[in-house]
Amino acid sequence: MSAAVSSAYAAGEHDVRIVLNEELDVVEPCMAARSNVGRVILQNVNETLTEFDAQQGGLKPRLATAWEQVNESTWRFKLREGVKFHNGEALDANDVKFSLERTADKSMICEVGVKYFGGTEMTINVIDDQTLEVMTSPAQPILPLLFSTVPIVPDSTPRNEFTRAPVGTGPYSFAQWNVGQNIVLERNGNYWGEQPVVDTATYLFRSDSAVAAAMVQTGEADIVPNIAVQDATNKDTDFSYPNSETARLRIDVQISPLDDRRVREALNLAIDRQALRGSILSADVIPATQLVVPTTSGYNKDLQVWPYDPERARALLAAAKADGVPVDAEIKMIGRTNVYPNATEVMEALMAMLQDAGFNASLQMYDVAEWNGLFIKPFPENRGPTLLQAQHDNAKGDAVFTAYGKYHSQGGQSVLDSVRVDALIGEATAASGDNRTSLWQQLFAEVNDTIIADIPLFHMVGYTRVNPRLSFKPTIATNSELQLSQISFK
Amino acid sequence: MNSFIGRRSLSSGISLIGLIVLIFFLSRLTGDPTGLYLPLDASLEARDNFRVVHGLNDPLIQQFGRYLVDILQFDFGDSIRKARPALDVVLEAFPWTLWLAAVTMICVTIAAIVIGSLAAFNVGGPFDRLSGMLSLAAASAPDFWIAILGIFFFSVYLGWVPTSGTGTLWHWVLPVSVLFIRPFGLILQVVRGSMINALSSAYVKTARAKGVRERSIIFVHALRNAMLPVVTVIGDQAAGMLNGAVVVETIFGFPGIGKLMIDSILQRDFAVVLAAIMVTALAIFLMNLLIDLLYAVLDPRIRY
Repeated sequence: MSAAVSSAYAAGEHDVRIVLNEELDVVEPCMAARSNVGRVILQNVNETLTEFDAQQGGLKPRLATAWEQVNESTWRFKLREGVKFHNGEALDANDVKFSLERTADKSMICEVGVKYFGGTEMTINVIDDQTLEVMTSPAQPILPLLFSTVPIVPDSTPRNEFTRAPVGTGPYSFAQWNVGQNIVLERNGNYWGEQPVVDTATYLFRSDSAVAAAMVQTGEADIVPNIAVQDATNKDTDFSYPNSETARLRIDVQISPLDDRRVREALNLAIDRQALRGSILSADVIPATQLVVPTTSGYNKDLQVWPYDPERARALLAAAKADGVPVDAEIKMIGRTNVYPNATEVMEALMAMLQDAGFNASLQMYDVAEWNGLFIKPFPENRGPTLLQAQHDNAKGDAVFTAYGKYHSQGGQSVLDSVRVDALIGEATAASGDNRTSLWQQLFAEVNDTIIADIPLFHMVGYTRVNPRLSFKPTIATNSELQLSQISFK
Repeated sequence: MNSFIGRRSLSSGISLIGLIVLIFFLSRLTGDPTGLYLPLDASLEARDNFRVVHGLNDPLIQQFGRYLVDILQFDFGDSIRKARPALDVVLEAFPWTLWLAAVTMICVTIAAIVIGSLAAFNVGGPFDRLSGMLSLAAASAPDFWIAILGIFFFSVYLGWVPTSGTGTLWHWVLPVSVLFIRPFGLILQVVRGSMINALSSAYVKTARAKGVRERSIIFVHALRNAMLPVVTVIGDQAAGMLNGAVVVETIFGFPGIGKLMIDSILQRDFAVVLAAIMVTALAIFLMNLLIDLLYAVLDPRIRY
């Protein structure tokens, strides 16, 4: 019987099977900012002009070989020659213009467009087949980095609807989509770059982490990019990797008693971060001081992790109380179920720690749809003082992807209203080079040390299980893309 | 019989309309899907645009009116999640559940009838006690626990069957086995009880007195008369399965309607939720009708 069973998942020597924890609903390249779509499509089927180097930092050329800033608001890109799409068409500047315009088209509601080009107007001039200039309003000093998010499609792609058969220039072509069951990518023999060793990749979908992990154990699968910490029990096959996510509690700084800095400081001092490591959370998580990971340009390494000091927290609360701050008011902790593994347990532990330090804290857990209503503006009126559990992903290397939405007074999830913060974000967004880095560092010092807008918790880790026949090490980019060309066999 | 079918269709049609009204308004009370489909940092303009594109900014009653007009033309709207017609999405998933339910119920019915009848034949005997114990354990074991245990024992430890997925007959073994357990326990008990009654009835005693063989007495004379309550329970259990075996489908990665419904509810993909409910409601109506008609076949005294 076992021969019959093993034939059920027989694969060629150089074929891989990858298990994703969410089924793909769409395979549209402009939706690649969603992690499950990105893992299949990004750089495998559809490539980008530039590529962010998640390990070394900085940008690598991909479909563009060179780029330069013509003036403050204009960039010129030179395209790689001899690149062909999977349908045989040659890549030229018109395809890039089409892809950029299509991604930003408001009627398409593309995730990449909405996320990275929301407030940016682009004018694209095709200079010749291999050259184009992009003018933006407002000026974008990091436009080449932003273009590492835009998958390039041929101009024969449907203009106003999501494609179900993506065509790209990547090392793999989109071969089959058996809805609900699997997606198959095949190696592109005409790829412009080095030929990867994986012949075909089959993506399967299992939402249960224990089952997905078991599939690698039985040889039914080769990689599960994301398993729960409690299933990562085999040190030979299971690897932790920083997944670029940072967990925090957002402090509602404008509502009493949270509008008092001493209370916010006491909140941070009441948290025993070490107690959560290696117990409810992985031992590999890193205590955070700010909302971006250390590889992000603008990360401020001078900020210190808040010590666990419940005595001082109680003293600060007493001082605030003496000044008439209503520190006994109920503080609602708002959690989001499954925002990360053991999210509920983390919130319960945090609540107990806050109560120990003298806070009147209560906890409510919500599913993502309801939680969104509390996280994004407009915030509910009469919501009272709240601490909201959230996790933020910034693997793109620049703090701009964090700062505006979280901390600018006009940001969609920001509870801050600070002239200085707004000014710093405005200056940093328009700056480049070392000046930009320095301004972002000032911003994080302002937000985290001066104002204390958050209870930063941890830079999180993910766990992946890899079949021992493969050579593959996950990186911080594995959360959003999984390049098949980085896989080899032992 | 035609008038019976007509009356049943009419009453089911009225129920279906009630269901549509209820689900349409209840689902919209659960919140705006915009936040789920757009990145958290999407601008207000993008959010407004999303609502316009998906018709979510109109007054609720207007949305409902439009929906009613559309479904009369068999247009069930588009899935926001999958960016394609909701009915296509549902009709893709439904056959998986239909097959899963059909295969499971056929296995359950055969096994429960054979074992239940044999248990009833020798009440209190070792076979009867063993089947009683088994059925009690089966009816009380949680699906997810059995499923995970089955995967670890039969797939990971013994390597006999694939852990999950689709593709070969072997992939069906674990999901069908897990789904089998609960209805088997229940139906086995109903068969046993019903057969005990039938076997103690006058016509069986007469048959015995005439020297009819025991096997014929059990499976020909008694069984047919004992089947009415059994058919009812089988119908109930099968209807439950048509609604989707959510846990089993989720764990085994089976692309059926149960998993689709749960995902669509969590994602506030209203068009798919409504289409899925209507398709399953229709299927359950047809199955109940079939069972009612089967009563007449089993018991000639029943006339419609």
